[in-house]
Amino acid sequence: MSVDLGAVLVNDPRGARVSPSPWRTGAGWDMFRALVARELKGRYKGSVVGFVWAVLVPLFMAGIYTVFLRILAGQRVAIERVLVGVFAWQYTAQCVQGGMLAVTSNANLVKKVLFPRMLLPASAVAAHLVQYLVSVVVQTVLLAALGGAEWSLRGWLAWPLVVAGLTALNLGLALILSAAHVHLRDTQHLVGVLLSAWFFVSPVMYDLEFASAVVQARPGWAPWLWLNPLMSLFTAARACLLKGAAYPWSWASAASLAWPAVILGVGVLVFRRAQRHFADLL
Amino acid sequence: MSGNGSTIPAIEAEGLGKRYRVRGIGPPTLFGRVRDAVRGHAPAEFWALRDATFAVPRGRTIGVIGPNGAGKSSLLGLVAGTITPTTGRVVARGRICSLLELGAGFHPDLTGLENIQLNGAVLGIPRDELRRRTDRIIEFSGLDRFIGEPVRHYSSGMYVRLAFAVAAEAEPDILLVDEVLAVGDVAFQLKCLDRIRRLQREGRTLLFVSHALQTVEEFCDEVWLLHGGRIVAQGEPAPTILRYIREYMGEGGPVYTQEFGTREAEMAEVRLEDERGVEAAVFETGRPMTVRIRWRAPRRIERPVFGYSIKTANGLYLHGSNTQIAGVEIPAIEGEGEVRLTFDPLRLMEGHYLLSLSFHSWDHARQFHRREDWYPFAVRNRTGALGLVALDARWTVGEERDGGAPQPPPVA
Repeated sequence: MSVDLGAVLVNDPRGARVSPSPWRTGAGWDMFRALVARELKGRYKGSVVGFVWAVLVPLFMAGIYTVFLRILAGQRVAIERVLVGVFAWQYTAQCVQGGMLAVTSNANLVKKVLFPRMLLPASAVAAHLVQYLVSVVVQTVLLAALGGAEWSLRGWLAWPLVVAGLTALNLGLALILSAAHVHLRDTQHLVGVLLSAWFFVSPVMYDLEFASAVVQARPGWAPWLWLNPLMSLFTAARACLLKGAAYPWSWASAASLAWPAVILGVGVLVFRRAQRHFADLL
Repeated sequence: MSGNGSTIPAIEAEGLGKRYRVRGIGPPTLFGRVRDAVRGHAPAEFWALRDATFAVPRGRTIGVIGPNGAGKSSLLGLVAGTITPTTGRVVARGRICSLLELGAGFHPDLTGLENIQLNGAVLGIPRDELRRRTDRIIEFSGLDRFIGEPVRHYSSGMYVRLAFAVAAEAEPDILLVDEVLAVGDVAFQLKCLDRIRRLQREGRTLLFVSHALQTVEEFCDEVWLLHGGRIVAQGEPAPTILRYIREYMGEGGPVYTQEFGTREAEMAEVRLEDERGVEAAVFETGRPMTVRIRWRAPRRIERPVFGYSIKTANGLYLHGSNTQIAGVEIPAIEGEGEVRLTFDPLRLMEGHYLLSLSFHSWDHARQFHRREDWYPFAVRNRTGALGLVALDARWTVGEERDGGAPQPPPVA
């Protein structure tokens, strides 16, 4: 029997705090790893092809968008660009939808065990990131087969930064939405609507050139394009990976790259404030 | 019990309180908030726990009892840190693990083994330590044959066994137990209680919420009685449990009791006493229990009959008799006096019981005073035997000898 006091938990109206923090003892990382493993294992346990779905779904979508865009709009957006856009969009869309439920679907855990609540949306996003990276392998093979890939060192060095930016954005959104969903359960419906609107204003099945052409008829709209964080991220992703794609540097397009940091910062603040009342509302 | 003489309490709380806002049925929605704001509805408030100040020394076991909604679970949630207090603060020193989260975070599609890893990580067991203990966890749960199966296929009992096994291996400094031992089969319950005893011996601090009063009396160094969100009593187990039974379970308490009669004669005071003649609420299987009934009869009553019955807490009628059946004739009563009803040995087994008393005329035509399910009490069983009643059974080993037929003991 030791007199070692170990962890000290202080719980007051500002919320519960444990010192030393689970991040310093490594327990936080163990939990994170276990939760990500649960997400990944649980997601595909019941399905036959398992992980293959992670790749098949965006592939089908890319095919559908390419075909219909050509038939309906008569626009010739290169298939490679649609591919990059759809794979990246799939990552964000899944983080938004899955991340939103990260806390509410773990109500039992949140009500009964004290652990850093941020691990829930974070592990959901991390699991989707793993899935995205797997689909990127397929994406690269396809791009190489189609001949649209650009193999430049600069591009492959900048690409992880784009993925990091996209992940920060997704995590920020997951934090905000998962906290909001505890307090207001109908955010689910609202988010569904907003997500489809976001899909159409983002360069998923089209690219910046296409959007610029549309905007050209209405001068003054152009800088507003960069208000969408996905405009800069997807354009940057294409610039890294595809032949003939470049990032059009301007103050607006550069500022747009700061979005992920802003959203993540807001997400962390919002989540911190909201998490005190999670157990009361679940 | 309080082994190492450390003066710093394991758990300390000051002015701890938790207020809930009641927002009607269903989960909160944006739509609902807007509607309430338009209609000017303010959410109703209630205090689940109010102004709790206490200190629990290291190595002590505290039993928390009280009627439903008294604030027991809120208290545990506040100590565990999952609920944020509205007022005050609580400090807990040492690794906390709560048995209130049995199986929290289990994923139905993952196997038992995968869930051990997941649950262990969430409970804060370091990875290398967990790896070392995995075999012990599987052994304790007794599920080695099923450990590779998804827990979706587990029965609820198996689920709880696995969860308890993980929690027990977390080796917490502070263990919070919330009424979880009511699940699982008897053998596993005994195993759990055994493990809890070991944790006590190791000097862990326990906070124990239970409705099983006999378990509380057996395990706890101290009992807290909660009512209406306040800690109304803190003290020795026996008197605190007695107070709970008298004030909140019996007369006017949550038990459905009835009282009627002409009151030509009545039972004035009733005491349940143990073998030392001390008023008690928890009795022991195989030991005596005495019910002392003080009666009052303003007018003379010829040949009155006193009767009793005992039911289990869930209403099963176990036994009933009266002075008439027992052949004890009381010629007449007037004024004041006493009758005693003694159960020796008490043949009831572990559990909660309700005693009813009646006082009526010889021909049962007049009911003077009857108190139905009025006197709750608990029984603790230390004999090791199982079941509902203690039967007088004896084993005889070897050949039967002539004239050695065992005499049946008298039956009450």
